[in-house]
Amino acid sequence: MKMCLGIKKTLLILWAFVFLFGFASGIQPQENKKLPFSATLYKLKNGLHVILSEDHSLPIVSVVMVYNVGSMNEQPGKTGLAYLMENLMFQGSENIGRMQHISIINRVGGELNATTTVDRTVFLQKVPSNQLTQVLWLESDRMKSLQINAAKVEKAKQEIIADIRNRKAFSPYLESYWRFDQLVYPSFAYGHPVIGAEADLQELKVQDVRDFYNTYYVPNNAVLSIAGKIDREKALTDIRKYFETIPEGKEIPHMPLSKSPEKIAIHESMESDQAPSPGFHLGYRLAHPSSEDLYVLALIEYILLRGNTSRLHKRLIKRERLALHMEGSIEKRNPVARFRLFILNNNQFMVQRTQRAIFSEMNRLKNSFVPAEELQKSKNMFKMDYIDQYADSLSRALFLAEEFLFKKILINPSEELSKYLAVTSTDIVGVSNRYFGEESVILDIEVK
Amino acid sequence: MKYGNRLKAILSTLILLLSALASPLIAQERFRRTPPIPEPLPELKIPEIQSTSLWNGLTLWVIQKDNLPIIDLKLITFAGETSSPEELPGMATLAAHIISRGCSGLSSSQIEEEIEYVGGSFSTTVHPDYALFSFTFLEEHLDRSLDLLSRMLLQPSFLRREIDTIKRNMYYDLVEQGSSPDFLAKRQMLRILFANHPYQKSTFNEEVIKNLTQKDLVPFFYNNYRPNNAHIILTSNLDLETAAIKVRRYLQRWQKREMRPAQPLSPESNNKKIRVCFIDTPKAKEATLYLGNVVIPATDPDIFPLLVMNQVLGGTPNSRLFLNLRESKEYAYQAFSQIDYYKNFSVFFINAKVRPEVVEASIQEILNEIRSITNKNVSTFEIEQAKSYIISNFPLQIESLADLTAKVAENKALNLGDDHWKRYYENIMLVTSDKVFELSRRIPLLTPVVVVVGDSDIVLNQFGKFIKEVEIFNDKGVYLGTYKFD
Repeated sequence: MKMCLGIKKTLLILWAFVFLFGFASGIQPQENKKLPFSATLYKLKNGLHVILSEDHSLPIVSVVMVYNVGSMNEQPGKTGLAYLMENLMFQGSENIGRMQHISIINRVGGELNATTTVDRTVFLQKVPSNQLTQVLWLESDRMKSLQINAAKVEKAKQEIIADIRNRKAFSPYLESYWRFDQLVYPSFAYGHPVIGAEADLQELKVQDVRDFYNTYYVPNNAVLSIAGKIDREKALTDIRKYFETIPEGKEIPHMPLSKSPEKIAIHESMESDQAPSPGFHLGYRLAHPSSEDLYVLALIEYILLRGNTSRLHKRLIKRERLALHMEGSIEKRNPVARFRLFILNNNQFMVQRTQRAIFSEMNRLKNSFVPAEELQKSKNMFKMDYIDQYADSLSRALFLAEEFLFKKILINPSEELSKYLAVTSTDIVGVSNRYFGEESVILDIEVK
Repeated sequence: MKYGNRLKAILSTLILLLSALASPLIAQERFRRTPPIPEPLPELKIPEIQSTSLWNGLTLWVIQKDNLPIIDLKLITFAGETSSPEELPGMATLAAHIISRGCSGLSSSQIEEEIEYVGGSFSTTVHPDYALFSFTFLEEHLDRSLDLLSRMLLQPSFLRREIDTIKRNMYYDLVEQGSSPDFLAKRQMLRILFANHPYQKSTFNEEVIKNLTQKDLVPFFYNNYRPNNAHIILTSNLDLETAAIKVRRYLQRWQKREMRPAQPLSPESNNKKIRVCFIDTPKAKEATLYLGNVVIPATDPDIFPLLVMNQVLGGTPNSRLFLNLRESKEYAYQAFSQIDYYKNFSVFFINAKVRPEVVEASIQEILNEIRSITNKNVSTFEIEQAKSYIISNFPLQIESLADLTAKVAENKALNLGDDHWKRYYENIMLVTSDKVFELSRRIPLLTPVVVVVGDSDIVLNQFGKFIKEVEIFNDKGVYLGTYKFD
């Protein structure tokens, strides 16, 4: 009894210490020592996740801020908001003038970029390592106090509308990509274009933009990932200084229901008066992006598509010369990853022959084992690309942030890579039979 | 009661004030108003480059980087376009591409399979002075990769159908590039700067490709692809000794040969007065301008003031040209300056994309910016800012394995010497405003070759204010005539 009380007391003191320390620092580090590089995960009091990866080989630091928001968070009639927000993030905040963010990064010899996808908005900077606090100052100011007013919103809207018109005029297949997305992802959230619709953009109100910013551009919906020459303790002190006083946002609205689209075969065609050649999109709905089958499917992507010696490239482009152009990938988009191909042909007859050739290659995957040498080649290519994802500081910061958002933990790339490399020919036959059935989605593009 | 209320009010105000002062939140927020002062730039430890030579004359440069299990290998052969026979421009390009199109025991498809098997990628670039081959592969396949490289280099098969494929690709590449105004403008500028000089061969157009034959290719290849005319640069986890053992094992058999003397020096005379050329691209929405001249080589000690001057004038969007032509005058979408390096000289040039109706005004503004640099010292503040940019940005340029190896390869190809690499920071730091001023008066900045590519209906009408003569060329570089404006 006495002893129990002693343990309880000790635990209480320990708990109090942890609580106080936690409260004082607001961080709960998770360090993964088995990584091929150092990386530590922290969570600040306001919910901002921070990943720090030290690498002292060069005086460079890369800072990536990922907001867990993209076009999927838009409502019908308000498309283009996420992309518009990306633009506005460079138009000034309380202490930073319009485009000053860009000019400061340029002036110090750094580089920057930003991108918006269906489910993420990412801001990237690579700078000399003595400029880290400068970037923290810039990033935190736009997270805390972005200046959104009618003039800025109008200017951004008009720029994006001009961009949409320009893309439509110069990318003859753009609208076919959009239609194909709708066919594979019938739900509004995942199926509409990231850039938005011109009519929706015209109608956007300043308040819509402010609401979107206040809802999603908050610390509890973001990951700050930093890789390069940093002193971890000092960096953390600076991060707390600049970010921890930013109030936590309200609870992030639930995503639309993650219901997988029904697996049915679709074959549709569209006419284009812009397209110089006929062609088609072809896709398969696969598993949920977090499914273990994605390890096997990733290797299938390499066997079929990647490089000049992949099965489809050899057959369609080189040997039978059926296609003029081919590109494709496996996309990990919620709620279901997809295999997608885009092919251009000389004429409609070649379109049909190409589709038959693709189905025959799919059947080959389902009915016979991939030879050991070919599988090993695909694994080697995959390994090179996988390592390349964290080969420099900017790629590494982005890789860590993306993987964290996806898996909710700091992943170990070596362990993860070994899962891909463990895929067998039998796995490939099994997974191919599971996903490459009759339920393909095809969108033919016919030249008017 | 009244007194009590007042006391309460005073006390509450005091408490509020004290708590406000004590609140870290409010005190901290002051730091947001101004940018933080950066710490001094940490010292850059430039990666060490070690070297050794094989008995056959092949030089191996090794950069050991404790890194991921990837190897980046660059091979330089001094067989660039200037080495092509006088009557056969394009031969060096054909020769560079032949090595990946079949060799003893392997067809071109099998070579591709092998490259992909080692997780690799292989690319070829032909510079006027040298051909550069980039081969990246997984460390665990070092032996297989070097074996492949050795077979490609030592035993190419020179099959006719592969030669035809390369020629077809070269042809379509040039046709495709011919639709780019930048390509047309730069090629024309270089053609004029390299007139009557072997470097002009590097600006060949698609019509000459048909003259390339297997009969001429084979001797060209064996004359130029020799170990004593080549360097290998290798960046990986390997130390010099291990790398040398491996390279020796696979490339020792490569036979050296007496090489011909080096190609002549820089183009004899740079352009002595402004010369304006025009290429018509009907309905082009913007006009593309290139203004350039031959200047000092990268081996000249004054290259460092030139780098700083380039930064001040047009290195980034914060440089003078961009701020004037785009931000102030609103003539241009972009305006930058750049230096291209050749073995015995460099070409300093400015390129801008401007509104077609303000071409002459833009040229005048560019020349005004050059004049302001040649007429008076650039302020020390601006010089220090430019130096700081160059020094800060340098590590970004050598971060990836491929970029680091490429930088070292370029240094070796240009024969820059160890000091250029080791003392790069120091040499930039030593540049002063006076040195930039002296340099700007030493090089022919104010007499550039000017090439304009744009819509003749809009562009040609505006000349005559200070440009009195314009030479017209077609998009293949054929001279069509001269317009004179009185």
